[in-house]
Amino acid sequence: MSSHLSEEQYQSSVKAVWRATAILSIVTVVEVAVALILGPHLPKLVMNTFYVLASLAKAFFIVGEFMHLKYEKRAFMLSLGVPLVFLVWAIIAFATEGHYWNILNHPK
Amino acid sequence: MAEILEIQEEHHTNLLPTPDNGEGGEKTAMNISYGKTMMWYFLLSDAFTFSAFLIAYASIRLAQAWWPNPNLVFKSFPGLGHTNAPLAFVSVMTFILILSSVAVVRAVQEGHRMNQKGVMLWMIGGIVGGAMFLGCQAWEWNHLIAEGLRPFYNPFGPDANGVTHLVEEHMAVSPGPIAFGALFFGITGFHGFHVFTGVCINIWAFFATANGTFQRRGHYEMIEKVGLYWHFVDLVWVFVFLAFYLM
Repeated sequence: MSSHLSEEQYQSSVKAVWRATAILSIVTVVEVAVALILGPHLPKLVMNTFYVLASLAKAFFIVGEFMHLKYEKRAFMLSLGVPLVFLVWAIIAFATEGHYWNILNHPK
Repeated sequence: MAEILEIQEEHHTNLLPTPDNGEGGEKTAMNISYGKTMMWYFLLSDAFTFSAFLIAYASIRLAQAWWPNPNLVFKSFPGLGHTNAPLAFVSVMTFILILSSVAVVRAVQEGHRMNQKGVMLWMIGGIVGGAMFLGCQAWEWNHLIAEGLRPFYNPFGPDANGVTHLVEEHMAVSPGPIAFGALFFGITGFHGFHVFTGVCINIWAFFATANGTFQRRGHYEMIEKVGLYWHFVDLVWVFVFLAFYLM
């Protein structure tokens, strides 16, 4: 059933996982370091953009390497990825609405 | 007939009736087993649930004139008393969860080699990591509750300059936005519940492995399915960490 791996395949997949682990750890450490060192000095928008991009990078490594999606069929990846496009709309719509309430409730 | 045989060949499946092991071993058109496909689609639906929570958090937070500064709310570390260590403890929690996820990936890989002992060893790593994460979360919740945070009360308020302080220390002029507590306990609690169920499922998988269930079955696909759920818990934490602690 599950494809039994050859020794070489096994070794290379183990290597790939430790590589992903190192990258995830480094990204997390960099995120926290940037938050503590640069956070107080840079505009909120710059910081938040950085955090979102770093988090998306981590998400790609977890889904691709740990959850093995990178090695599945393209059609399967799309069947999971395409529905998530709805979230882009949801984030924009709800963030806009929240900001609008802020302006309504707290006029300058 | 020849065509069917070719398809069989291509997908490494056996169209003859196979003993039913209860987890649907036959491959689908996308060359992934039925069981794994359904686990993925369950996780997709779970991702939408978490997204709905986090988007609600974002819209409520954006609607406030002021929000507690996470660096000043989450600054405690166990055993260090009234210390100022922003993000330190939550970074440790993140690291524990990543390592626990890695342990389960290693268990899946050992499963591909039919190495029963290896699967058991790495599953223990995954279980211990999950339990440690839950312990950390229990400590953090306990600490915040002791400071006065409740689902309907938020003691972290602004002083005259907008800096975050505890109301009880008479520095803040008013309590902070009420939704902070409900969102924090609600979302980290829902995530923590996933961690808890994940640990329970991992413990079950460990004992099933120890009993030789998967060895007799001839494959360790169940470990892969359990692993998918466990990595998803790690994935969600990335975004909880982003929303509550970094932004």
